[in-house]
Amino acid sequence: MTRSLRGRMSGSNLFTGTLDLLILRTTEATPLHGYAIGKAIRELSEGVLSVEEGALYPALHRLEGKGLLESEWGKTDTGRRAKFYRVTQLGRSHLESESARWAEHSRAVAAVLSGGS
Amino acid sequence: MKRPFYRAFRPGQIRSDESADIRDEIELYLELRTEELITEGMDPAQARQAAEERFGDTRRVEATLRGQARRRRTREGMMATLAGVRQDLGYAFRTMRRSPGFTFVAVLTLGLALGGNTAIFSVVDAALLQAMPFEDADQLVFVNGTHRVDGQSSIRGASFPEFRDWKERTRSLTSMAAVSNISAALTGGFDAERVPVEVVTEDYFEAMMVTPTLGRTFRAEEHSEPGAHTVALISAGLWERRFGGDPSVLGQDVLLNDRPFQVVGVLPAGFGGTALNSEVWVSEAMFETLTGFAPLEQRGSRFLSVIARVDQAMGPDEAQGELEGVALALQGEFPEAHLDRFAELQGFREAYLDTTGQLLWILMGAGVLLLLIASANVANLLLVRAHGRTREIVLRRALGAESSRVASQLLTESGALAVMGGVLGLGIAVLGLRVLGPMIPQGVLPGYVEPSLGAAPFLVSMLVLGIVGVVTGLLPALSSARMNIAARMREGGRGAVGGMGGRFRAQHLFVVAQVGLALVLLVGAGLLTRSFQAQLAIDAGTEFDQVMAMGLQLPESRYPAREDVGVFIDELDRRLSEIPGVAQVSIATDLPFRGGSSGAYIFRADAPDDRIRFHQHVVDVDYFETLGVSLVEGRTFTRTDGADAPVVGVVTEAMVRREFPNGSPVGQTMYLRPSSQRPVLIVGVVEDLRLRNLTTSLMAEGNSPDVFFPLAQRGTRGLEVAARVVGDPVTFGPAMRAVVAELDADMPVSDLAPLTDGYRAQTATPRFAAFLMGIFSALAAVLACVGMYGVLAFAVGQRSQEIAIRRAIGASAPSVARSVVYDGLRLAVSGLAVGTIVALVGSPVLESYLFQVESTDPTTFLTVGAVMIVVALSAALAPALRAMRRDPAEALYSD
Repeated sequence: MTRSLRGRMSGSNLFTGTLDLLILRTTEATPLHGYAIGKAIRELSEGVLSVEEGALYPALHRLEGKGLLESEWGKTDTGRRAKFYRVTQLGRSHLESESARWAEHSRAVAAVLSGGS
Repeated sequence: MKRPFYRAFRPGQIRSDESADIRDEIELYLELRTEELITEGMDPAQARQAAEERFGDTRRVEATLRGQARRRRTREGMMATLAGVRQDLGYAFRTMRRSPGFTFVAVLTLGLALGGNTAIFSVVDAALLQAMPFEDADQLVFVNGTHRVDGQSSIRGASFPEFRDWKERTRSLTSMAAVSNISAALTGGFDAERVPVEVVTEDYFEAMMVTPTLGRTFRAEEHSEPGAHTVALISAGLWERRFGGDPSVLGQDVLLNDRPFQVVGVLPAGFGGTALNSEVWVSEAMFETLTGFAPLEQRGSRFLSVIARVDQAMGPDEAQGELEGVALALQGEFPEAHLDRFAELQGFREAYLDTTGQLLWILMGAGVLLLLIASANVANLLLVRAHGRTREIVLRRALGAESSRVASQLLTESGALAVMGGVLGLGIAVLGLRVLGPMIPQGVLPGYVEPSLGAAPFLVSMLVLGIVGVVTGLLPALSSARMNIAARMREGGRGAVGGMGGRFRAQHLFVVAQVGLALVLLVGAGLLTRSFQAQLAIDAGTEFDQVMAMGLQLPESRYPAREDVGVFIDELDRRLSEIPGVAQVSIATDLPFRGGSSGAYIFRADAPDDRIRFHQHVVDVDYFETLGVSLVEGRTFTRTDGADAPVVGVVTEAMVRREFPNGSPVGQTMYLRPSSQRPVLIVGVVEDLRLRNLTTSLMAEGNSPDVFFPLAQRGTRGLEVAARVVGDPVTFGPAMRAVVAELDADMPVSDLAPLTDGYRAQTATPRFAAFLMGIFSALAAVLACVGMYGVLAFAVGQRSQEIAIRRAIGASAPSVARSVVYDGLRLAVSGLAVGTIVALVGSPVLESYLFQVESTDPTTFLTVGAVMIVVALSAALAPALRAMRRDPAEALYSD
């Protein structure tokens, strides 16, 4: 996996809805602001997945509009004013059903790929 | 909900702090990213730039985010509004269920006013606006030959020479053509019938802008060579009826007045010429061939209609000016034949609507008044209602409802009422049209008009009521927006005298206006009804109830000589008399109310220069007896008044009054031509009888007196047959038709109908007008009554404490009731005063429809005033009784 390939990966280039799932997952434990969400996705995927910044914020706002995320303005550790996102109850159940679907999907893809080699 | 309800209909607005938030969010990201890059070892000077580059176009992302925010806001607004509306509607229906009386009255008022108006407006709309069955019909005009004295024009026909002069000498009128509307016997291979025929000149089809669907119109030589080309065009209807729509009809002959005419063309369906129902068209070159009558070249023989198109570049005013010039020039050239002759343009629509147009406008005006009354009622009901709910509104405001929320609630309630009223109104309109449509007498509307429910009339009516509803619905809401809730709460939500006084005054004004408008409508209905009764009371001078009539035309081809006609008439008379139930038969040139009498001039022997215009009637010896006309002096005709006997005549009393004021005309002689050697001896005078228009005075300038001549002395081929019968005249129709068929199978019978039909047709329009106005005014009176009831009941409710106090300090129950009735009467009298003034100013518009009734008829005004007082009293009755019965103690302690 080359760096250039990682760099191109984004919500819209991944399977539709994948970015949404990643966002929902990262905000599950504690409220995070946008930068932290991007960073968390990168770190949790051990650097494999990186989110294009231009796509992150529209996704956050869209999820908020759908009621899957809720937001609150607060202070960062360093005292900066930031908008923190947290998954809602609705977002949680969406995440559950969608991750199950994703797992099934990737198992299926993996099965096809391994069967063919 | 923080936003005013109407915001929902605008695109969502994004607040400035939201934009700032978006910028902050991105800025934070960039800052944190920059720091991260620095910790990764990047040069701090380049880190910020690198972070921005990696982020991409910040402005584009910001714009995306702002767009998202805007869309979300719009959606939220709509959702909130929808939820609000749902809540309001639920509340509205619960409110309605709680007060079924109010709901019922409001919906019924709306429904009746909407339905009635929509029905009437639909008829008017159809008549005034529906397309006429002609291309570009608004350019089409009749060029009427008129007789104008002292600025008063009466329409007469035009003669051929005159028509040619008009056509040649005008430039502003194009495609001018002359039309003669006649009828002809259509025979040959099928049942004989009389069909309406138009004899037309060149350019007729150009003027009408009509092209045959089959075949062609007339060629130039078919117009220019008299008697040479027996060709005709037929209507689509006739083609279907007689030829089954077979295209091979072209080249076939039809027998018109026993002469074969070759069909050269079929005109499009729906085209019926100037008469709207014509079925055959022939060229004017065939006029004599068809009718055996050659009046074409006589300048004074005025029997043509003339049509033309107004040149669009010049317009009707210029055309009329040009015609005036031509008419004056012709008066100079032909001083005798063109004495007082003018030519005047009349648009087609105007011509077809004739006097009905004005009647329709009057009915529409009545409809508008009714709508106003209904609007006042709705406004009043809503005001009363709003007042009754002041406490509720105050409470809701106090509990935190925004004034916009309260307004939207009140509007929703009005809206729900309007929708229910609208649905009811639509139903009433549909039903009304179905009932009214067939009741519209023939001749009131032109044949091409088919009244049908119009969307525009309904929407306009709905809009008027809607505006009223919104305005009155909003008034209480607006005052609630301003109201001092704390003060109102202290008052117990009853409303201060000052605050509610204005609204109460408004209600009074509405009631006064309603009573006034209702009076106007009632006066209109009353005048029309009295006028109609006066028409029914006219003594027509004839007894026509039991008379069946028919028209016959004896063709010259089969009845060439006067003797042949005489033989036919005698045989017809004899056979008709033998029909069981037929008491008496009379044959004449014309019969009452069936049209067709011709005008002529007669000259007195002692004043040969003084020509007397009269209506000529040629009648047999049984005429006066069959029609029940009484003899006043002298004798009527006898069998001795034969062809070789001295020429005799019978005149009417009107003729005596007009021309022989100094003595009896019996025994005097008159002449039909100034230089004639054959005198007419006047042998008798009969009572006045009305043969044409019921309502035109027999002494009127334009109404010439009648003179009768014996059938035996003056031949005629056009016969009108009257049979006095025992029983229902209509049942004798088939037998009479059979007698004619026995005598001549090819002779069509026309207008087989009781004489009363003609009489009814004359009284149909006033009957219809009086009927419609009656419905309108009755509705108006009911609505005014409801309005007044509402206000008085409301006032009694308002004054219950005052009334209780008065009762407590000794006022008797009747005196309390009296004061309520007195309030009602005061409102009614104010309304009557206003209404009377309006009615006096407005009633002259009815004048041309009134017969023997002045538009200021005191009887009508007094009767209507009395009716309105009774209406006011009945409206006051229930509230007065309630005030009387209310237990003073209960009223005092309540609330």
